[in-house]
Amino acid sequence: MSPIFLVARRDYFAYIGAWGFWLSLITAPLILAILMFAPVLLARAEPPRVLTIIADNASDAAAVTGEFEDLARRSARAEINAYLAATAPTIAPDALAAFDAAVEQGGDNRAAVAAARAVVTERVPQALRAFPQPSPRYVLTPPPMAGVEALRPYLDGTQTLADGRTLFGAINIRREADAPVIEYWSLNLSHNEPTLIAQRAMRLTMQREALAGQGLDPLEADRLNAFDPRIVQFDPRAAAVDAEVTARQRAPAYAALALAFILWSIVFSVANMLLSSVIEEKSNKILDTLLTSVTPMELLIGKLLGVAGVSATLFLFWGALGGTLLSIAATQLGDSVLGQVAAAFLDARLLTAFAIGFIAGYLMYGAIFLALGSLCESIQEAQTLLGPVALVLAIPMMLVMPAMDNPNAPIIQAASWVPLFTPFLMLMRAPAGLDWVEIAGQGALMVLAVIVVLWLAARVFKAGVVDQVSMSSWRGRKAKD
Amino acid sequence: MNAALEAEGLVKRYGARTAVQDLSFTVPQGSIYGVLGPNGAGKSTTLRMLVGVLRPTEGHISLLGGPVTREALRRVGYLPEERGLYRSMSARSAIAYLARLKGTPSGKAFKRADALLNDHGLGKVKRKKVKTLSKGMAQKVQVLAAIAHEPDLIIFDEPFSGLDPVNQRVLEDTIRAQAAAGRTILFSTHVMEHAERLCDRILLIAHGSKAFEGTVRDALALAPSVAVLETDGAEYDLNAALAGRGFTMSEELGEHGNRRWRVKLENGHNSRQLLQACVEAGAPLSLFEPARASLHEAFVSLVGDKAMPDAAG
Repeated sequence: MSPIFLVARRDYFAYIGAWGFWLSLITAPLILAILMFAPVLLARAEPPRVLTIIADNASDAAAVTGEFEDLARRSARAEINAYLAATAPTIAPDALAAFDAAVEQGGDNRAAVAAARAVVTERVPQALRAFPQPSPRYVLTPPPMAGVEALRPYLDGTQTLADGRTLFGAINIRREADAPVIEYWSLNLSHNEPTLIAQRAMRLTMQREALAGQGLDPLEADRLNAFDPRIVQFDPRAAAVDAEVTARQRAPAYAALALAFILWSIVFSVANMLLSSVIEEKSNKILDTLLTSVTPMELLIGKLLGVAGVSATLFLFWGALGGTLLSIAATQLGDSVLGQVAAAFLDARLLTAFAIGFIAGYLMYGAIFLALGSLCESIQEAQTLLGPVALVLAIPMMLVMPAMDNPNAPIIQAASWVPLFTPFLMLMRAPAGLDWVEIAGQGALMVLAVIVVLWLAARVFKAGVVDQVSMSSWRGRKAKD
Repeated sequence: MNAALEAEGLVKRYGARTAVQDLSFTVPQGSIYGVLGPNGAGKSTTLRMLVGVLRPTEGHISLLGGPVTREALRRVGYLPEERGLYRSMSARSAIAYLARLKGTPSGKAFKRADALLNDHGLGKVKRKKVKTLSKGMAQKVQVLAAIAHEPDLIIFDEPFSGLDPVNQRVLEDTIRAQAAAGRTILFSTHVMEHAERLCDRILLIAHGSKAFEGTVRDALALAPSVAVLETDGAEYDLNAALAGRGFTMSEELGEHGNRRWRVKLENGHNSRQLLQACVEAGAPLSLFEPARASLHEAFVSLVGDKAMPDAAG
């Protein structure tokens, strides 16, 4: 049996046999799920923020109150729309129509949501399971005391409202020379959304007053504000009938972004495994024994393959889990946004870029980390070396967001031909028209880069493990000089 | 004489520093060969060159009749000075793994690992992880890992260091048993007693160069003979009494109030002449004992005191 295979096999089983491997195998999807849903759950868990409105003028208070109620209604409608787009897009228009009709008939938010829910119950009852229960972000309460000064104890937290709730903020609409001034009082200095809502309401009020002052119908302001041009985005590469950009066309970009993050996380976590593995062998003092049976290059390749096997096992497990969920999503959710995102992950070009990126990125970064590890005597020493390396490795992630914004920007195109960044940027560019010739070219570049890096890494590795060259010995020699 | 290993003009330089300088020697097949020298003499560097871990800057090595190739190295067992095993592996897996790296089929490797562990009193711990073994046990496992693939040539670098006297004796027996099975053994040590007891031939290295190569008997012949004398009472000064007669002596710790002297028999002197000189000087002798020189003394005479380790060492 080849020594490379034996080294790879031993390293593979050493990792597979460690409880940490099984822990990460099982917990990683759970942690990912928690990270994905935590913001939504946290937002839902937060109780509505209690605001009070004071105004010199009752009509100003009514205008701002109306705007807050309108916002709550729009938010509820949008939440139902997003949910149905993802789960049951065919009935979304009818459910929203029922929502709007309930509002027209003077129903409150709760009644409107119930109307939409009734449509879902009748037509697609299986979509009811996670049907949203929209909760307004803000609730308004009458001022417990008259005047801002009297409200201070409620606003600074020393006093609660009669029902035990805490007052989040107070909006005070004053009139100065007949022009409204919006004051906002709150302990939460960085949160200014209520002022923007109040500003929107008062802008409309001012427009109405201006029109009335000109002898015109003040409601013209409402009609003018209702003008809202439809925005349609087109993809020039697509045939005329399919050219309109919808969630289906945008989905691959989000899938690429997700895959780029997954690739980055996996490449660097397994590269770190290699680093600690070679340091462990140096500290175990087993390398001299191994080197009478395997060459440094064979040892390096064996270790790379062993850990590649570990990541392949992770991929198989996570891939099977993710693939199953995506397939279910793609078939069950059909044309919904989630279904389209799920289908986007299964795109051949994206998966090819991912496969090339993973294999080449892993071999390249893995070899670099192995070489670095061979120069270190301890994990602590490696950490000092990894500081600057980590900064270099953060660059691809810094480029990913600009690549999402404009995958064909000259700097992104140029950077995608730098082997250290290619695995990630090739992925990001794949949905934006990266053709197969370019994928093949960048693949060939990666192969060349991997060969060069492996050759260099083998030399450094040999110096580290055979000639005992290390950071500390080098520092010691320098100090002596 | 068939050679298991031949080194010719070996040189190893690290930049401006020369670790091994023009070293040539031959290890006869089936012999036990000792490489001796103080710490830092270049023993480990030499051994690492012999097993292909280091490439010589100059010189030539013939290993088992040919160049140092992968195939030749499969017939060599090596225990490095800096040794260790995978701590999470069981003792038998660690031995079998290293044997498999040397080309032994899996089934045979595990069978040999089990047999060796049983024969060396480690049968009960063979499935225990290396990290749970005592230092002595782990070192035994390392020695067994070096011989599990039944090599023709076994190279041990400082195999006795770290072992207690009982285990040192066990290791000596293992080395003799391997030699009796027809294998060639080469080991380095800075403890002369092991070499004296085990080796057919020895190589002394000092400052990276060869100081001596030959049989133990040849080495001992190079050292002056000595005699140990005791004189009654604390007053008599044998050194002063024999002054001018060409004897060099040192005083050692005596017993029962007597004085003890160690006299080097050099410059053509022998023990009979020494005894005659003592009689002529009227020395009150209570002990006169001609003694054989130790290997340590032989090497001190070859390379000087500063280059040698302590005899106990």
